[in-house]
Order: sequence, then structure tokens, then C-alpha cells
Amino acid sequence: MNVKTIAVVVGLFAAGPLFAQQGNPAGMMPGNVEAKPGTPAPGQYNPQDRLFIQLAGMGNLGEADAGRLADTKASHPSVKAFARRMVADHSSTNAKLADIAKQRNLSLPGEPQPDQKAVKTHLETLNGLAFDQAYLRAQLIDHQKTVQLLEWEISNGQDAPLQRLAVDTLPTVVEHLRMVQALLAETTGAPPQGLAASQDGAPPPR
Amino acid sequence: MPKMKSLLPLAILPLTAIGLTVFADPLPPDATYRPLPTQPFSDVKRMDEAQKPDVMKRQQALFNQRYDMSNRPLPGVMMSGGRKPVQGGVRVKLPAGMTWERLANMSPDEIRQRNLFPEGFKPLPHVKQSTGGQVFPTNQIAEIDRLEQRDLRRFDVDFDLPDHLTPEFPPPIFLTTHPELGDVSRGQVLSFRNYYEIMNGIITPVQMEGLRLLLTPFPQEEFNQTEDRKVAAPSLGVACLDCHTNFHSNAAFHLTPDVRPQSARFRLDTVSLRGMFNQQIHGSKRSLRSVEDFTEFEQRTAYFNGDHVSATRKGVNLPDRPNQVAMMAQMQNIIDFPPAPKLDSAGRLRADKATQQELAGEKVFFGKGRCAECHVPQTSFLDNNMHDLKLERFYRVGEVANDQVVIPDGPIKTFTLRGLKDSPPYLHDGRLPTVADTVEFFNLVLGLKLNQQEKEALTAYLLTL
Ligand code: HEC
Ligand code: HEC
Repeated sequence: MNVKTIAVVVGLFAAGPLFAQQGNPAGMMPGNVEAKPGTPAPGQYNPQDRLFIQLAGMGNLGEADAGRLADTKASHPSVKAFARRMVADHSSTNAKLADIAKQRNLSLPGEPQPDQKAVKTHLETLNGLAFDQAYLRAQLIDHQKTVQLLEWEISNGQDAPLQRLAVDTLPTVVEHLRMVQALLAETTGAPPQGLAASQDGAPPPR
Repeated sequence: MPKMKSLLPLAILPLTAIGLTVFADPLPPDATYRPLPTQPFSDVKRMDEAQKPDVMKRQQALFNQRYDMSNRPLPGVMMSGGRKPVQGGVRVKLPAGMTWERLANMSPDEIRQRNLFPEGFKPLPHVKQSTGGQVFPTNQIAEIDRLEQRDLRRFDVDFDLPDHLTPEFPPPIFLTTHPELGDVSRGQVLSFRNYYEIMNGIITPVQMEGLRLLLTPFPQEEFNQTEDRKVAAPSLGVACLDCHTNFHSNAAFHLTPDVRPQSARFRLDTVSLRGMFNQQIHGSKRSLRSVEDFTEFEQRTAYFNGDHVSATRKGVNLPDRPNQVAMMAQMQNIIDFPPAPKLDSAGRLRADKATQQELAGEKVFFGKGRCAECHVPQTSFLDNNMHDLKLERFYRVGEVANDQVVIPDGPIKTFTLRGLKDSPPYLHDGRLPTVADTVEFFNLVLGLKLNQQEKEALTAYLLTL
């Protein structure tokens, strides 16, 4: 075993078997520089990574915008608390995303996704329980899509720090999804669905 | 619809209409369909080969973290062909300082919140999740190379389980049409080169033609001619019995065709086709209603990951339903379970043949263990239903292990327990190495609180099936 392979093995164990992504090279960016054969050099991304930065960046902005609106307009204290958590969590992820993008000379989008903007316009017209429910229903779809997006980047991206960010963020986004499901049950009276049906979990923030 | 959206002010649209028009913003274009390769074959192969040692090391690290992988056969317990001993002991590792008893006394919420669920009870990733696809064990690769000079070796991954934790090879074949003969395999792996000689005079012309088709290789996602194949030379493809060796299983695995995106797809351990004549639903998730349906569609699912578009590109074989599919099904439907001399015709232990411990185990199976509620002895230990064991009560969803995102399993078909000792590893993805592991698994998941004596009796009973 030469020195280089030892370093790799140690690296693997240090990070636990959880890490060191192994992508399908069939989907790598042609012409990328390789750190060692089969492993893209740091900062080498493929079109999926780039699309991920766009979509995740817009999504985070939209989440934070909607959260700020809900923090002022929501009637249910649990919904308000959830909204504040959305602002905090999605802003912090977006800062990390911005760091990675900057190192690659890419810029993050400056606006939310069009569908998020349309929903926000709609939410601005609602009040009380109707607002809470409409906000939560939109959050449900948003978080379902974000989970899919993160899973997709984990499968199809190649840029290690970006994929690591997706891996680190996913359990939190899944937890957000569970919270939305629990809050929807609470505010609509319908039985909980999805993860909220099988995980009692920590009570939603009050 | 988009036209309507621009004509009506959003505020007066009911929310359902918003759902339809506005949330149409797409996820990435290759989230559902298999992306086309972006690189020439030679580059992909070079990089895959370079990655391979790390890929294999990473998977071995995961196995060693989760399981005791050692070779510890149960004294005196052999698989049905007498070629391989059955492995003993609980192999799933506990978190440091924990015991099975203490764990079983905790609530699912507590286990989840304190991250105490044994890693080996969680879904098992594919050796290379991002690529997935069929992976054959070394013994199958060698046999098919010897018999047919057909290459089943992938250049990007190797089979990841040690030989002693897989079914015996080659497995015996028992026919419902000839119970008096016992194993008719002659100790060989059925292949295109030898099937006629081995089965001549034992099966009907219709069954023989079905068998020929089941042994005929057809293009498959990783074994074909295109640049995203994972075999060195353009390939003749894969035959049904390359995984279902002798109608049993050689523990070849792939990823479920039934889930997207790629990172969330679960691993599938090849199931045995023994005793399938009594089964009413097929596939862990698909719940196809007949052997014919499954046989017809397996060429798009096991072969092409549930992506009929990719199948069309690489060369799909669509067997003709009234003739070919019927004959393939009729061949599969005469494959019997291995003998279980201690069971009577209704699947109950015979008191004159079973030991006290085995009889005690049967009692647990019907009583405190609740096993017979789903594994009904009278109907081949099946209930022809799917059940959701809700394992996600015990672990955090969304964590990633070797590039697999852990999502809940959801409802899965009840597996038969007949011939159990012949078909390690266990559960749909093969996450449990031994029968003793399955007892600890159900004890925890069903909240049974069995004591040590009851667990050992239940294990002894399961080995008689
Ligand atoms: C990768 C190896 C592999 C190959 C090749 C393969 N199968 Fe399978 N087969 C499996 C696995 C894995 C399952 C379980 C699928 C699931 O749980 O969804 C299965 C399930 C089945 C079932 C349903 C059994 C049950 O208990 O539900 C039938 C029938 C079947 N296969 C027939 C075939 C036929 C016919 C072919 C050839 C066209 C074939 N298989 C090729 C691996 C394979
Ligand atoms: C609620 C229904 C249900 C009950 C009760 C139940 N099982 Fe199962 N069993 C299943 C299902 C569903 C599967 C397939 C799960 C999977 O693959 O993820 C299964 C799989 C198994 C397997 C693996 C079979 C194989 O070939 O991989 C074993 C062994 C098993 N059960 C034993 C038991 C025992 C022992 C008990 C009682 C202690 C028990 N089961 C109780 C539904 C049940």
C-alpha cells in the first residue's frame, strides 16, 4: 500500500463510512480536471451542481421571504415560531451555499422561484386561520420539492462540498417537512400525514 | 392552464387552482428519467476502474461498522443441498454499551432521539448507489464465464458480501411435478449450455421452452452495447436465472425500480422463486398480481430500473404474452420449496418429529411473537399482503449512508418463511445476515419483549421451516 492510498483510507475512516461520495463518472463534466483518476479536483462542478445552486438558492430566498411574512401575519403561535425557524435555517443554508458558489466564481440568484413569488402575493391577501393554512400548504409543497432537490444533487452532482452541504441539510429539511405536517394537522383538524404520522418527535416549537 | 393564470388575478383563484398552475415550476429535468451519459465509454471505464478500490473499501467499512461479518456456522445445520452451513448468531452490532434487552425496553421515540437504533437494522445501500444496477456474485460470474463465455463482471464494482453469508451455490432444484426425485439439479448451475440435458424427460415441452427463455440473455442496463454499460466488452446481456440461479437466489442485488430519485432507491436482494405458485402478489413494492405479469415486466424493471425509455435505447426484449410469458410462468410455477420434514401439510410442526425447543418456538410464533398474524403457516407462511413496519419510528429520516438517502421503507410484501435457512441475507434489501438477526429485528420493531429463551426457541423453530 503506498502513501497515497493510506491517506485515502484514513480519510475515509475519519469521515466515517458516511462520506466520500462516489459518483457515476458517466455523468461527470467532460474535460474536468481530476485530483486523482476518477475523482474531480476541488471546485470542479457539473451542470447538475450548477442547476442545484440556482434552484436551492432561489428556494432559500423564497422560504425566508415567506417566513418573514408569516412571522408578522400568522395567527397561530406555533406557525409563527415555525416561520421564524424557516427564516433562520434557510438563511444560514443560503450563506453556506453562497460561500461555495463564490469559490467557484458563480453567483447565487437574487430572487425566489417564480412559484414562490406568486404564492407570496396570494398569501398577502389572506388573514387569520386562512393565512396559516395557506402558508402551511405552500410550505408542504416547498419542502417536498426541496427534499427531492437535495436527494437529486446527492445522486447526480459531482462537486464534493456542494454534495456535502446537501447531505448535511437534508435531515433538517426532512424535519421541517415533518413539522409542517404536524402543524397542518393541528390547524386543520385532519389526522397527521407523512412523517408526522409515524414520528411523534419533539413537539413543534411554541 | 398557463393562459388562464395570466388572465385571472391570483387572489380570486381558489388554492387548488394555485396548486395546479403555479406549482408547476419544475424539478431538474433528469430527476425521473435516466440521464444520458456525457462522456465516452473509454473515459468512463478508466475513471470507474480508478474509483473502484475506494468504492469497495467504503462499502466494507460500512459492513464492518454494522455487522459481525465473521464465518461462524451453526453446528450441524446445513442448507437444503448439504453444500453450505447455515450461519449462526446475531450479527447486527449494537451501539457501544447497549444490550438487546435494554434496547427492547426503550420507546421508538427515545431510540430515535438518542440515535440508538442499530445501524444494521437500517436500509442497506447498494455498493455504488449513484450508479446502482445489477451486481452478480463471483461464483455466478465464474460459472457463466465457464459455461457460456458470457461476461457478468462489472469494471466499476465487485460483489460486496462474503460467500459464507449468501445462499449455497449451486442451489438444489425441487419440482412439484416430481416430488419423488428430490434435487434434480445434478449439482450444476442451469445454463443455456446444459439445461436441455439436465431437464430432458422430466419437464414438458412447454416448460422446456419456458426454461430456454429464462436462460436466454437479453440486453440490460449495465450489460449491453452502449457507452453507459459497465461491462468491458459489448455484452450479450443477462438471463433471468443469472440472479435466480436454479430458480433460487445467488444474492445478486440491484436497486428497486419503484422509487426515485436515485439516491433514495433501496437495494433489492434477489428473491427465491421457490414456492411462488402459492404467492398472490409479486415484488416487494409493485404488488403485481400474477407470475405472468411479473415475468413480462421484469425486463423493464430488474433489467432497466423501471425506465422504459432507457430500455428502448439499449434494446429491450418484450416477451410475447400468450406464448412466451405463459411458458416462462409455467416453468417457474413447478418449482417447489425445499423439503421441511418436520412440518405437516398445514405447515404445523409434527410433535413426533420436532424437538421441545422447536415446539416452544412455534408457540412463540403463534402467541407472544405474533408472527403468524402475517406469516400464516397454512398459506405458505404468507398472508398475500403488504405491511408497513414503520421502522422510521426508530431512526432519523434523510440521513445518508454511502450515498443512499434513508427514507421510510413503507409497505413491503410479506415474505414466505419456507426454506428460510437457504436464503440469506434477509429482508427485501438483505440488511440482516442471519435468522437470529431477524428475531432481534422483529422483537424490537413489533415491541414484543421476548426473553432470551423465547428468542432462541423462535430461531430454532424458524430453522425447521
Ligand atoms: C438482478 C437480478 C435479477 C434478474 C436478472 C431477474 N430477477 Fe427476478 N427478481 C429479482 C429481485 C431482486 C426480485 C425482487 C423484486 C422486488 O422485491 O421488487 C425479483 C423478483 C422476481 C419475481 C417475483 C417474485 C416474488 O416473490 O415477488 C419474479 C416472478 C421474477 N423475479 C422473475 C424473473 C424473470 C422472469 C426474470 C427474467 C426476465 C428475472 N426475474 C430476472 C432479481 C432478478
Ligand atoms: C405485520 C406483519 C408481520 C408480522 C407480525 C411479522 N412479520 Fe415477518 N415480515 C413481514 C414483512 C412485511 C416482511 C418483509 C419486510 C422487508 O423485507 O422489509 C417480513 C419479513 C420477515 C423475514 C425475512 C424473510 C426473508 O426471506 O427475507 C423473517 C425471517 C420474518 N419476517 C420473521 C418474522 C418473525 C419471526 C415474526 C414474529 C416475531 C414476524 N416475522 C412477524 C411482516 C410481518
